[in-house]
Amino acid sequence: MKRLFLVMLTVVLVFSATVMAETFTRGETLYAGGGLWGPPTNWNPITPWSAVTGTFGLVYEPLFMYDPLEDELIPWLATSGEWVDLNTFVLEIREGVKWTDGTPLTAEDVKFTFDLAKTHPETYYSSLWDWLDRIEKEGNTLKFHFVEPLYHEWHNNLYNLPIIPKHLWEGRTKEAILTGANERPVGSGAYFAHSYASDRMIYVRNDDWWATEQLDLVPAPRRIVYVVIFSNNVALGMILQGELDVSNFFLPGVPTLKRTYEDIHTWFDDAPYMLSDNTAFLYMNTTKKPMDDPVFRRAVAFAINSEDIKTRVFEDQVLVSNPLGYLPIDAWMQYYDEDVVEAYGFTYDPAEAKKILAEAGYRDINGDGFVQLPDGSPIRLSIIVPFGWTDWMESIRIIASNLRAVGINADATFPDFGRYQDELFDGEFHMAINNFGSNASNTLWTFYDWLFYELGERQTSGNFGRYDNPEIFALLDQFNRTPFDDHETSAQIMSKMQEIFLKEMPAVPLWYNGMWFQGSTQVWTDYPSEHGPYHYPCTWGGRWQEGGLLMLTDLKPRQ
Amino acid sequence: MKKNEFLYFALRNTRMQIGLGIVLFFFAVMIIGPSLTDYDPNEYSGPAFARPSEDHWLGTTFFGQDVFTQIVYGLRATFIVGAVGGGLATLIGLIVGFIAGYKGGILDEILNMLTNIVTVIPTLALLIIIAAYLPYRGVVSQSIIIGCIAWPWTARAVRAQTFSLRSREFVDLARMSGMSSMKIIVQEIAPNMLSYLFMALILQFGGAILAAATLDFIGLGPTEGISLGLMMQNAVLWSAIPLGLWWWALPPGMIIAAIVSALYFMNTGLDEIFNPKLREM
Amino acid sequence: MGRYFRRKLLIYLLTFFAAVSINWMIPRLMPGDPIRALIGRAALRAEAADKVAEYFSRIYGLDQPAWRQYVNFWTSLFKGDLGISIYLSPKPVTQVIRDSIPFDLGLLIPAILCSWIVGNKFGAFAARRKRLDGIVLPIWYVFTATPYMWLAILLAYVFGVLLGIFPIAGAYSFAISPSLSISFILNYLKHWFLPFLSLFIVQLGGWAIGMRNMIIYELEADYSRYMESLGAPRKLIRRYAFRNAMLPQITGLALQLGVIVAGAVGTQVVFSYPGIGYLLLQAVMYKDYFLIQGCFLFIVIGVLIANFVIDVIYVIVDPRVRHGMGGETA
Repeated sequence: MKRLFLVMLTVVLVFSATVMAETFTRGETLYAGGGLWGPPTNWNPITPWSAVTGTFGLVYEPLFMYDPLEDELIPWLATSGEWVDLNTFVLEIREGVKWTDGTPLTAEDVKFTFDLAKTHPETYYSSLWDWLDRIEKEGNTLKFHFVEPLYHEWHNNLYNLPIIPKHLWEGRTKEAILTGANERPVGSGAYFAHSYASDRMIYVRNDDWWATEQLDLVPAPRRIVYVVIFSNNVALGMILQGELDVSNFFLPGVPTLKRTYEDIHTWFDDAPYMLSDNTAFLYMNTTKKPMDDPVFRRAVAFAINSEDIKTRVFEDQVLVSNPLGYLPIDAWMQYYDEDVVEAYGFTYDPAEAKKILAEAGYRDINGDGFVQLPDGSPIRLSIIVPFGWTDWMESIRIIASNLRAVGINADATFPDFGRYQDELFDGEFHMAINNFGSNASNTLWTFYDWLFYELGERQTSGNFGRYDNPEIFALLDQFNRTPFDDHETSAQIMSKMQEIFLKEMPAVPLWYNGMWFQGSTQVWTDYPSEHGPYHYPCTWGGRWQEGGLLMLTDLKPRQ
Repeated sequence: MKKNEFLYFALRNTRMQIGLGIVLFFFAVMIIGPSLTDYDPNEYSGPAFARPSEDHWLGTTFFGQDVFTQIVYGLRATFIVGAVGGGLATLIGLIVGFIAGYKGGILDEILNMLTNIVTVIPTLALLIIIAAYLPYRGVVSQSIIIGCIAWPWTARAVRAQTFSLRSREFVDLARMSGMSSMKIIVQEIAPNMLSYLFMALILQFGGAILAAATLDFIGLGPTEGISLGLMMQNAVLWSAIPLGLWWWALPPGMIIAAIVSALYFMNTGLDEIFNPKLREM
Repeated sequence: MGRYFRRKLLIYLLTFFAAVSINWMIPRLMPGDPIRALIGRAALRAEAADKVAEYFSRIYGLDQPAWRQYVNFWTSLFKGDLGISIYLSPKPVTQVIRDSIPFDLGLLIPAILCSWIVGNKFGAFAARRKRLDGIVLPIWYVFTATPYMWLAILLAYVFGVLLGIFPIAGAYSFAISPSLSISFILNYLKHWFLPFLSLFIVQLGGWAIGMRNMIIYELEADYSRYMESLGAPRKLIRRYAFRNAMLPQITGLALQLGVIVAGAVGTQVVFSYPGIGYLLLQAVMYKDYFLIQGCFLFIVIGVLIANFVIDVIYVIVDPRVRHGMGGETA
């Protein structure tokens, strides 16, 4: 037995000695993390919720890129797109683009991508066909004829749909398209999905990429190793050791560490360090007492000290939200109505909160230190966030004590993520923090569509508080149907929505979660920053097209 | 006579003294602690990142909570988990082990099957399901779950011991004299394993504390209140070690290690007390 | 003897059936809907979300009544099909396990075996030497009593970040692709060492203490005294004691090896090491029925095999067991 083992060991060793391991050249390799939380198993752009980060963006590309900082659609697979009349949108598809298997990418592929959702209504973007009538192809031009165009939704789709190759997908079965792994993805993008293991995904640069020739863009890293890391602690350690170049983790202590480690790069040199990416809202369940009372909800808004959360929990890595919850990006702020906010907005003011409560009849009748409903029944509320989401956990502890300070009896509780989701979807919660749909985009429609999502049996995609106001639903729909460049009409609609929102306060905007980004300058330099280059440093799944890819073209190996 | 002898050796045994001393010390801290501090465990009572000082004996956390206060209240959770979880596990293990080992046959097989099934029931899934039905997960429910899951190894060990004891002569003698099974177990077998039982209890006590710490760590701890495990989890999630907040990251782990190893010490000490032979060595 | 094992086999089959059924049921008792949890990761339009969810429920057979799902489960199990993971969609469960389990085995088997061997030797050794017992064992006590994750994090920080001797994440360097070469093997071992060490240290003390206590207990047992009074040499008594003391240790070892498929969640989280443990935790969080079932199936099989081995060993090692085999009535 022992001898057999020795023999085997020798054979393995002798064999091994003849093989050289391939070690990636450090200066050509970029290590990234923060967008991959489990083993890579799916590269199917049709199931974006399961696809490995980079599938869309690095491998498959959109018609346009979007730059949230400049609020600009950047022509990508399409060279231009415009409305020729109110019901017709014309796309010019770029020439000279090739799939990585050598086949040219044409308007036919783009048309196929849209048609796919018509053939298979289970495709996630199939609702498009409810208002899109047909697509007409003339050479490299695609004419989209709409039944009734939803302009804002359409403009959002322009940079969010991955274009797939017709010649490789048309022969696939429905099951392969909708539930396949698409293990060897063939896209048109700057990188190939090269290989993977349980704890990493490796992309290798496509040196034949069309944008190199046409737009003079060369992504600096020849190879991207996207690593699976289970804890912030490990991510931080790897950054300190210079083993992780780009990190999209929320890492506590970055402000402190920046003082001692020169190699940690952030967007801003000082607070808030991070760009704002999405707004954290306190949802209130409007189907339960007393959250069904707009006056009570407004009192809650006045009672919360978001400034305290910002400094204590986030060490100033975030900004406190404005009363509307609009991110500080042009696409949204262009509709920010100062007058409306001035008239109906709120600030942290516990005295005012108490006054509002008292005037509405919320008084402490039984003398327990907390207010009761006007009919005398007690109030006992719980605020939930998923257990383990530590920044939010600390935040709701602060919110609970803020609420208690104005006489509202509230506790912070931490169910598991699954339970949290169910409570939100089924409308069982009292109050909860959520940000699932408030991320930066090119239209406020995505933001309000999440905040005032139409009511159904289960609220899986927004409006968790089940706020029911036909007026605001109608306004949102109207906004969606207003041509994208009709600023004046859009602004009027938005002002009305803002007024209703602030008067009714169905959810309270708290702070902006950051576009968490730490770069290590030990190997790479020229990371995006406030001093330029200006690219949104996002490598999260489905969002590379917002600047992550262009960031790669900025980087330079450190000399 | 026997009792006095036991006490005499118990108090003279160094290991027992050290172990008991440490456990009693932390027990005392748990009892007296709350009156030594003016803060609430989760209250922001001072500046963040503060080093140990007069106001904050063990410094403050990332957010400015008092570490000493958290430990004092966290100890409570630790002792509860040990007593309830460890006690329950030992009790179930004893009952199952004695019956299975003594009775043998089909009853043994069935109990053995039960033991196996419990071994393979996923603690994690069970915790999450229970969590889904409870409004929140408390220390006691956590202890009960640990107790209901940790008993198999005690049961196995007790069964094995009973198994070999029951074929020994004195048990045969008792059986021949017409004693009932219950009586034989209680009067003949159990006393012969007394030291072993104490050992099992103490190990289960410590095991439950460690199990709770692990559960807390991977995010399945009590969803309310504070425990030493939760403190460690928080310290790790907030990068206390790389940020140099050693006064937050180190004490909870050290205290758990101290308590559990003190229990092991007591265990060894007890062995020496029960087994006069060891004293001669 | 044959009858004994036939009966055992029947009992094991029953246990298998019951345990697997319970494990099939448990995830389904969890509230919520796995498909919604999956699709909830992406914000979809309501109309689309409903259609997608319906389609996926059908594909996974979750739209069928529970009894039908249960029957389907057993039928496909007999075909060796454990279904498709939901959380890691669309990877088959068998593949998920096949890809992850080598990491767990590579870590846990050496850690368990080494700590068992060293621990037993050391424990038996220390039990006979009062001085050594007094000095060295307490150290192992402390290691064993230390919360595992906390110890592992300290190890990772000190050896990984501070001293920079060992890497802190991954099963092998992120800068290398696997191959059967010396440099890869060395790299793998370097990444393997800290996780291994952490598991080894924590388990070592447990075995050592167990062995030491058992030896002492056996030395004090009636038969030892009896032999001693007969004037048997101490060495002989010790040999008997050692053999008897080994029994519980073997039981423990077999059990440890039996649940190996459950993986080591703590190690994985601390060292970002691949393996099944963390996947299982995620599977539970995302209510991935199929992955949970699959993992538990292997855990059940592992534990049952371990038990069977224990049964066999008992019969071989302890002749008294052989006599008691038929039970009280026999």
